[in-house]
Amino acid sequence: MPNYMLLLHEQTSDVSQLSPEDIEAVIAEYMAWSAKLAAQGKIRGGEKLRDEGGRHLHGFGDKFRVTDGPFVEAKEVIGGYFTIEAENYDEAVRLSSDCPHLKYGGWVELREVEPTGE
Amino acid sequence: MTDRVPVLSETIDHLFRHHSGQMVASLCRSFGFDKIDTVEDAVQDSLIAAMKTWPFSGVPVDQFAWLMRTAKNRCIDSLRRSSKSTSIDVDENFELRSENNELIGASFASEIDEDQLQMIFACCHPAISPDSRVALTLKTVGGFSVGEIAHAFLAKEDSIAKLITRAKSKLRDSGVRMEIPTPVELPDRVDSVLKALYLMFNEGYGASTGEALTRKDLVFEAIRLISLLAKHPVTTSPKVDALAALFCFQAARMPQRSDHNGELLILAEQDRDAWDKRLIARGLHHFRLSASGDHMSDYHLEAEIAAIYTLAAAYFSTDWRRILTCYDELQLRQFSPVRELNRLIVLGELEGTEAAYKRLLDLGKELSNYSLFFITKAHYENLRGESVLAVASLARAFELSDNDSVKRFITKKLAEITPQHP
Repeated sequence: MPNYMLLLHEQTSDVSQLSPEDIEAVIAEYMAWSAKLAAQGKIRGGEKLRDEGGRHLHGFGDKFRVTDGPFVEAKEVIGGYFTIEAENYDEAVRLSSDCPHLKYGGWVELREVEPTGE
Repeated sequence: MTDRVPVLSETIDHLFRHHSGQMVASLCRSFGFDKIDTVEDAVQDSLIAAMKTWPFSGVPVDQFAWLMRTAKNRCIDSLRRSSKSTSIDVDENFELRSENNELIGASFASEIDEDQLQMIFACCHPAISPDSRVALTLKTVGGFSVGEIAHAFLAKEDSIAKLITRAKSKLRDSGVRMEIPTPVELPDRVDSVLKALYLMFNEGYGASTGEALTRKDLVFEAIRLISLLAKHPVTTSPKVDALAALFCFQAARMPQRSDHNGELLILAEQDRDAWDKRLIARGLHHFRLSASGDHMSDYHLEAEIAAIYTLAAAYFSTDWRRILTCYDELQLRQFSPVRELNRLIVLGELEGTEAAYKRLLDLGKELSNYSLFFITKAHYENLRGESVLAVASLARAFELSDNDSVKRFITKKLAEITPQHP
């Protein structure tokens, strides 16, 4: 079955004032979502990417240039990704549609992973 | 987006609030109460870090240890940055307390209680006003946000934030430390705490203002904190148990104070079987413990009134005589118009409508802006057949109330008085 990657784009917003209660609720929603997918055997994994300290590398012939980025001030960063298993895009969309990320101001880029092997 | 996961906020157990309060207390004990701002920022950072990583990595087995480690590291980082010295004075037991908690189990739990008690004494120091004590305690010990506290107090977030900031700097200036007060100071310091908890409870319990959910949380936070005091061998006393008993008896009746539509129910209408039996049992436990020593505090009298109301098998079998005696004694000690109103309702049960109504009118000046006064007045006027007066009183009560369920209650009463087809 094909794998799909959910790239979680997030608008960097000020979360510093969220209450402990709010924070607990957000975590609970994410856990409920991934638990639901896990129960159907649909989730393959996921990782959080650090918000700051990234590097952009660009090549010029046999040279390359490194710049820092994204910055915390960037309007949008990829916050992390999940990999899920689905029959096709329709199912992948359906499984992603209640990802709490959508509720909290982010958007999801859904991409099918090109299968390797024979 | 159809098929969304429902919001789970009703089912969560306030774990983060408790963790937050425990971490702030524990870190303040290690770094000093004067570092409270740094500590609070570090704790908040650790919760945000959890929110950003746990959805991907999963929730760690020992959540508290994870949060504590993160918060402690941030605290040390930020203290290093602000002071040039590289060595930070950390309580040497700190590592043991915060990170090996699964090894020490029970003693760790009592350490956490100890941290929190010290924090309660710091936040409820007599140097700051009772209101400030409540706000600060809710924030630092209870893990409530400024927004949630503002909700409960029907105040602006700005004013609560200012109140807390001023309270903290006052406490820092007074050199308040994290400690259980010495035996000499203890009685006054405990009184200062009890006064704040009494206010906190009433803020939550009172039917007049605020958002229902937050208010309920305030009630249970007050019970949690008084239980900490009652449990500790140094801070417990008959007075502490009396207040704990009062809280438990009152809170036990809370689920029945409104029906399933959120409409207010008066005591006579409430389903006594639906009162919280566990809280009643807890109340009785504290009530028994409070009956020692030779000092009868106001809390003892109030607990006794609550006990009689709560333990009566039915409304009509309430021991009004005994309740009246307690009210009389309280009023002798310090007269309160609002309490007098409650006393007169009891008097009405014993001596009839006329006796209560006559005295009620004398209270008119002092309670001229008190919605419940006019609701009670209307009740007696209706019983005396003076429906025009009763309607006017209810109209006044409506005007004075800022609470929707009270307003609906008044509307219901109005309909009962005014004939539908005149």
